[in-house]
Amino acid sequence: MSCGNHHDVPCVEVLSLMWVYIDDEIDDGHRIEVTVHLQECPPCADHFTAEQIVQARIRKCCTETQTPQELRARIVEQIQAALRSN
Amino acid sequence: MPRQMGVHVGVLRALDYVKLDPSTVGSIEMATETKDEKTARFERDVMPFLDSLYGAALRMTRNPADAEDLVQEATLKAFAAFDSFTEGTNLRAWLFRILTNSYINQYRKKQRQPFQTSADELTDGELNEVGEHLGMRSAEAEALDHLADAEIVDALAALPDDFRMAVYLADVEGFAYKEIAEIMETPVGTVMSRLSRGRKLLRELLREYAAERGFVSQEVSS
Repeated sequence: MSCGNHHDVPCVEVLSLMWVYIDDEIDDGHRIEVTVHLQECPPCADHFTAEQIVQARIRKCCTETQTPQELRARIVEQIQAALRSN
Repeated sequence: MPRQMGVHVGVLRALDYVKLDPSTVGSIEMATETKDEKTARFERDVMPFLDSLYGAALRMTRNPADAEDLVQEATLKAFAAFDSFTEGTNLRAWLFRILTNSYINQYRKKQRQPFQTSADELTDGELNEVGEHLGMRSAEAEALDHLADAEIVDALAALPDDFRMAVYLADVEGFAYKEIAEIMETPVGTVMSRLSRGRKLLRELLREYAAERGFVSQEVSS
């Protein structure tokens, strides 16, 4: 997991911050530390890349859903009906 | 409009959390809006989210018939409560909160399938372990990339409800932790716990599928 080199921030800490970094929930100070670490540590960078590949794959399989036309029409109709009823 | 749709109080509380954008707040005279104007505004602003609401409903309920019922219920609740929605605030999160709330209530009511909860707070020790244990390599991720959509969907469907919803809201919809906390009505710490556990479990399942398909060896996944 480690490249064997010394880092200011150890690999274990960088990996524990992986998701808050990927999710862009990390504070600026830690973001810079992680970014610097990833530039000098290929194994950690590879873990991050791996997770982002999987995340993108999950997103891709779920984002092309289309609402059935019949459902869309029914909702519009019911909204109009709700409007008329009061 | 009377609240005959039975809007859950929790849904209305979503307003307490959403960010106000000063540039748009107050730009509409809500008090003088006619019913037709409200309907037009709803159709203009809410209907574009229908596909993403339906996609989320499909993943929540895991079958198209229930997903249709859920989206219909949530959309009509949103319409009934639309007067209380503040223009210029986070409409997408507000809608997802109504959808999620409807789903949880529906399942609790029907007891058809009990709502599966399994998340507890992560201890500090566990939080520190999360990064270590994921340990995926890009070569393996590229193998998982070759799984069929149906296999990814199956793996998601196998997650407990609260994990699945957290993962879906973060990874597919790209909601921030704070937004997911508001949508699921749970503290941010619980969201992070559900996310890390859900993602880990999902990857374990994907690795199993990939191993079955011969994309990766079992050794890699151990």
